[in-house]
This record gives sequence, C-alpha cells and structure tokens, in this order.
Amino acid sequence: MAGVSTKITTGLTGLAVAKHPHHVLGVLYGKILRTLQKMPESAAYRKYTEEVINERSQILKANQDITVVEKQIGCGQIEEVIVQAENELLLARKMLDWKPWEPLIKQPPPNQWTWPPAQPQPQGK
Amino acid sequence: MRVLKKCVGFAQKRWCGEKKIAAICGKRKEDSTKESVMSRKDQLTEFGKYVAECIPKYVQKIRMTHSDQLEILVDPEGVLCVTQFLKDHHGCQFEMLTDVTSMDVPSRPFRFEVIYTFLSLRYNSRVTVKTYADELLPVESIAGLYKNADWLEREVWDMYGVFFANHPDLRRLLTDYGFDGHPFRKDFPLSGYLELRYDDEKKRVVYEPVELTQEYRRFDLSSPWTSYPKFKDDQIQKKKQEENKEKEEAKSKNPC
Repeated sequence: MAGVSTKITTGLTGLAVAKHPHHVLGVLYGKILRTLQKMPESAAYRKYTEEVINERSQILKANQDITVVEKQIGCGQIEEVIVQAENELLLARKMLDWKPWEPLIKQPPPNQWTWPPAQPQPQGK
Repeated sequence: MRVLKKCVGFAQKRWCGEKKIAAICGKRKEDSTKESVMSRKDQLTEFGKYVAECIPKYVQKIRMTHSDQLEILVDPEGVLCVTQFLKDHHGCQFEMLTDVTSMDVPSRPFRFEVIYTFLSLRYNSRVTVKTYADELLPVESIAGLYKNADWLEREVWDMYGVFFANHPDLRRLLTDYGFDGHPFRKDFPLSGYLELRYDDEKKRVVYEPVELTQEYRRFDLSSPWTSYPKFKDDQIQKKKQEENKEKEEAKSKNPC
C-alpha cells in the first residue's frame, strides 16, 4: 500500500519513525493555519508562515510517496518536518499572546548601542 | 558531493517566505553548475530584515558586525518572544544556544548588555541577540526553552549580577559560598574583598579581609598600549590644532 512507510529507523536519537505522517502533518498544518487566522492579516509573521505552510501542505497533498515529499520540501526527513510543524504550532499560539506585529514598545536610550561607548554627560545644569 | 549540494539547497531554502530568495532559488535551478547564490553576508542581512519585519514590537535594531555576523538588538521585554521565534519558526530553527554572556559599560544608563549566541544546525548559521539591563531591571530567563541556559544564566548572575526573572534555580555558579560582589563588574576591585589562606594552628582555611602591604599598594594603572588608536589620532590632531592656533594667535599679536 502506497504511503505506508517501510522505514525502520530515522537514524536520529530519540526520533521514532512516523507511522502516519500524512495524517499527522495534515492535522498539524490545519491547526497552525487556524491559529494564524486569529492574527491580523497585515502581520508579517502570519503572511510568511502561511506561505511556508501552504507550500508544504500542497506538496503533501500532491504526493503519496514520502520520499518524494521529503525531497520536495527539502528540510530533512518527514519526522523532522513533523517536529518543525509542532514547534511552529507552539510558537504561533504563544505569538497570539505576545502580539509581535504591534509597533515598537520602547526606543532604546540614546547611545545604548554605540561602540566605543559614549562618555557620560557631566552632571548639573 | 551529494551532501554538499544538499547543504546548498538548505541554504537557499532558508527563509523561503522571502520572495526574493525564492526567485534566486528559481534562477539557481536553471544554471545549477554555477554557485551564483546570494553571498553569506547578504543572506544574513536579509534574514535580519525578516526577523525585524516579523517582530517589529521588540526588535530595536539590526546590524552586521565587522566580521559579518548578524546582531539583533532587542528590548529586554522581548527576549522570550525573539528567542522562541528563532528557535521554533520554520525559517530559523536556531535550536542550539551556544552561549550567554554579558558586558559591563558603566557609562550607560543600562550598564549591562546581555548577549545570546544561537546556532542553527539546519541552516548552518549563527545569530547574536543582544539586550540590556541594569542592576535592578530583570531579564526574562530562557531556561524554559534551552536547558543549558540554566547554567549560563547562573554564570552571568554570578559574574555580573544581572537578575533573570523566572529562572528555576538562580544561585551563584563559579564563586565561593557566601561570596560578596560580582567579579566581572568594572567597579569590582582587582584584589577582591576577601583573601584566604591555610592556617596551620587552626588546621583550616581562614578568610580575612584583603590587606596589602605598603610596597604592593603602588598601582600603575595606565596601560602601556593605547586602547583606541582611532581616538589617539584624534587627540593628537586636536592637540596639534590647538598648538597651531596658539602659534597663529601669538603671530597675530606680535605685529601689533
């Protein structure tokens, strides 16, 4: 049956062979996309992540053979791709709290990032 | 050779959200014999812009060092957000924390710079994240994300006294029990506060406040090397200009 992996090991410590990568990845990508939809559309993070996820899920839908999918995504074995998706989901959910698309909250004090360091201003006016 | 090609493939696939890079990848496929990809520096610069665009709330500045390393300068509140993004985002995957250090510059309002270095094994690249703190302002701990940050942050706390909020176990790491002060601060005395010796009568190690005999008290603190040659030149020029001015003034006074 096509799509069932006959792989024995990933060769990476602690990373087991995924039994149903298509199903797992499909669910994960669905979750990520639903989380992203809660963000404003202008958010750069949402835009870029959606691009990546859509590209990957299209490749996943188009091919049943895992080796072809791995080659086309080009980001390691399918198990690693699953781990990446899990991480992204975690990040996307936390991003909802952080709201990083808002404007800069605080400017750094002047001369904070200059090198060599600026000399201290003489006290007293 | 195959492995090499794979690596290059990863490098191009990096930050695939960028249309520009995607376009370059397309070009690359056509003439696959030539290594006409973006240079390492350009890739990093693009990546810096990408991070700044994704997290405009916390990223204050992006810059490249003289050795072409990317530095992301971050507001202290955004450390957790930026590190999580660098670790978990598809286009970053900086899964390894190489080091956490600090730097003390007493003349700044926030005297400590806290410096994180990350390594992405997937894309074979490094990134430095910097933020700032003073003696009281806490920096959010990233020990929940990276296990090794636990000890690294303890070391920074020990040596500089930067406080990390929500750290699981913030104790001193390198110095002795009951140690006083933070040795890497600029205002920490070179000789320290305490000295210890083995007392033969008491049969144990004794701690005593530092006492220097008079002949060792003459410190020559001026460095034989000039730390900033650029500024040395400036100072010399300024002096010369002043001397010239004085001469001119003297000349203009003389004929009168």
